[in-house]
Amino acid sequence: MSAEPIDPGRTVEDPPADVPEADRRLLERTWEYASGLWGWLAEVDHTRIGVRYIATALIFFALGGIEALMMRVQLARPENGFLGPDLYNQVFTTHGSTMMFLFAVPIMLGLGVYLVPMMVGTRNLAFPRLNAFSYYVYLIGGLFLYAAFFLNTGPDAGWFAYVPLSGPQFSPGKRVDVWAQMITFTEISSLAVAVNLITTIFKQRAPGMSLNRIPIYVWAMLVTSFMVIFAMPAVMLSSLMLALDRLVDTHFFNPAEGGDALLWQHLFWFFGHPEVYIIFIPATGIVSTILAPFTRREVFGYMALVLSLVATGFIGFGLWVHHMFATGLPQLGLSFFTAASIMIAIPSGIQMFCWIATLWGGKLRFKTPLLYVLAFIFTFMIGGLTGVMLAAVPFNTQVHDTYFVVAHFHYVLIGGAVFPLLGGLFYWFPKMTGRMLSETWGKVSFALVFLGFQVTFFPQHILGFEGMPRRVYTYLPETGWGNLNLLSTVGAFILGLGVLVFVGNMLASMMSGAPAGDDPWESDTLEWSTSSPPPPYNFQYLPTVGARAPLWHRSENQPVVVGLRSDRREFLITGMLDADPDHRQVSPGPTIWPFFLSLGVGITFIVGIFTPWGLPIGAVPCAISLIAWFWPRGDQGHHVLKEKKS
Amino acid sequence: MSERPVLDVSGLPTTAFGHRDPLWWGLAGLMSIEGTMFAIMAASYFYLRGGAHLWPPAGTLHPGLGITTLNLAILLASIVPMHFAADAAEREDLPKIRLWLIVATVLIVAFLGVRIAVLQRLTFRWNSHAYGSLIWTTVGLHTLHVVTGIVENLLLITLLTKGPVEDKHMDDMRLNSMYWYFVVACWVPFYCIFFLDPGLLGASAG
Repeated sequence: MSAEPIDPGRTVEDPPADVPEADRRLLERTWEYASGLWGWLAEVDHTRIGVRYIATALIFFALGGIEALMMRVQLARPENGFLGPDLYNQVFTTHGSTMMFLFAVPIMLGLGVYLVPMMVGTRNLAFPRLNAFSYYVYLIGGLFLYAAFFLNTGPDAGWFAYVPLSGPQFSPGKRVDVWAQMITFTEISSLAVAVNLITTIFKQRAPGMSLNRIPIYVWAMLVTSFMVIFAMPAVMLSSLMLALDRLVDTHFFNPAEGGDALLWQHLFWFFGHPEVYIIFIPATGIVSTILAPFTRREVFGYMALVLSLVATGFIGFGLWVHHMFATGLPQLGLSFFTAASIMIAIPSGIQMFCWIATLWGGKLRFKTPLLYVLAFIFTFMIGGLTGVMLAAVPFNTQVHDTYFVVAHFHYVLIGGAVFPLLGGLFYWFPKMTGRMLSETWGKVSFALVFLGFQVTFFPQHILGFEGMPRRVYTYLPETGWGNLNLLSTVGAFILGLGVLVFVGNMLASMMSGAPAGDDPWESDTLEWSTSSPPPPYNFQYLPTVGARAPLWHRSENQPVVVGLRSDRREFLITGMLDADPDHRQVSPGPTIWPFFLSLGVGITFIVGIFTPWGLPIGAVPCAISLIAWFWPRGDQGHHVLKEKKS
Repeated sequence: MSERPVLDVSGLPTTAFGHRDPLWWGLAGLMSIEGTMFAIMAASYFYLRGGAHLWPPAGTLHPGLGITTLNLAILLASIVPMHFAADAAEREDLPKIRLWLIVATVLIVAFLGVRIAVLQRLTFRWNSHAYGSLIWTTVGLHTLHVVTGIVENLLLITLLTKGPVEDKHMDDMRLNSMYWYFVVACWVPFYCIFFLDPGLLGASAG
């Protein structure tokens, strides 16, 4: 009995003959999920909230997809009358805003919320209640956008809401305000998740997981989180300025009173360009993670991959002006940002070569996740090349605001992020549910998604060359754009069918998929060393790590951590560099207050659309919730759940 | 359970100060976010100033170098009792923490009072011109932080009075001071660009 307990002060009702089992039951009770509706709202477990993030984001993905199909129907033939110009504007704005703010970023961060604590070998995120708050704020922001959309108040100035179009003069009414507040909701949520992930990665890694043994996916989430912290304040501030210009007549963007419309573009793209990498970097982390089990080898070039991620994180902040090449900037500025935009291809290229090298030397298993990785490499290569083309000012000016740009960023975002994401969902679905997805239907949906995507978006390159501008609700027959647009529409429906099959496969497999077991793919990272789905405490004994691929180089003598109390939510804090055990802390249990705080934030921003009194009105419920949230109960040694039952 | 080597952590402490505590990192993250926001505010100021013909706009009177500097001095002075409070927290000297928190809170409230007087002397409002929008919005955002600081102090004073105070609260006291230093530091550059520069150099052409 080497795994001997632990703390003599603890109460174990079972005799010591069966210590691990009794200990497990005690852990089970301490970390029990809260039950009932109240308990659902009070939940703070990272796997539960992570799955909610993913499910919610997928619903928004479906909504954004339906909007995309509506646009494609409208554009299928010249002078179509399916959507009028006003509704078309709302639909494309809501589509873009949904896909960026309610789908792509939340699902990437949500997957991180689910995976990172398990991958680094700890029990929960550093700030579990903050995590619950993040989710609810995101949810309220999304519901708010769609409530407004169905009330014919959907934003209609494009997903980057350029002034002066979005300003008080040209967008009266509340449509743009809805957009601005939705931005604030989702950014608060993302910022809170970023702080949570950074702290968890820095302070809660399993003993032995020094910096050079952190899984690449976790590195990717770390870099992403830092980018969130330095990029998202820009859009929060600029959307605040826009809201103030519209509500209380400030003049930030009003040239007549000393403001400047280009200030908006600078602030927005200082966020907006890093945003692309906030979506893309987690996807590259997924790719590096999936490659190992499906090539049966460790990913080639760990150090090069990590340094590329970090380099991308830095260079990503130096590109924003390439969205503004058509605004008449000084020559030096143009040259600088062209150079930076070409330079970022270097770390992306390094990653690409590392992945190819991994594939080259591996024994490939052509399961669905690997197919998505291969589709990613192919598609992102094209999107990356058109990106390098767009970095050249003369070319950029030629195709600015045409469908060439639409094709480019869908290649980068769908090819670069959604393909790896679908592969990742396929790969981690067994961990989340304990069941396998159907491989046959997985391949069917992959074929439809891949084919549908190329048929939809490749023709848009050509349409762009032919001069078709983006964001037009229709075009004349004489332009000759009809056939390619029809082809693109057909592709969109194939793509939609593929996503439908993917979701159907998920729903069916959740009910009746084959049992997965702990580690169905024979993977190398720690989340596969616990059961599927994981228990609320993740690991009965926290693991220690002696290698970069801990499950492939597991020695018999690799110790486990004992000595954490099981009668309260204890977890281990380790050092930042070498993950040496430092001290123990108690993780907070379920509580309703983060939910109430998110409601208070919701009241503040939604009332704030109509009157500046939104701030003092909303401050009251926010302050009450915050005080109740943090007020000490002196329950550190007690069974936290009991107190919450009401 | 087979024989398996273990790493026993039961002897480790349950509290730690400074950057060993995850809460320190959470606060550092918050300060990075808000610091970025203030930095972008300053960048916006210089961006609009660079494009202006006359900056500050014609007819803008300086609220007075004396009163704005006095206000900064009060704000800087509030660091001292906050530092003593953090010091006392390290020694777990509860009455001293309370005393210094009260002194700090009085100073911060005084700062807010003088700030209101400064705002009353301004010859423009947020809707007068972009310059006014910048100054009022920045002051507004910073005031929000100052008010949060006051509320935090009052809560900690209440906690210290009513209890139960645990040893982990001592780190909260120290982090409270750390956050306050940050709130103070954020104002210094804005004092310089809003009041010191135009005050010393006069209304300069952009």
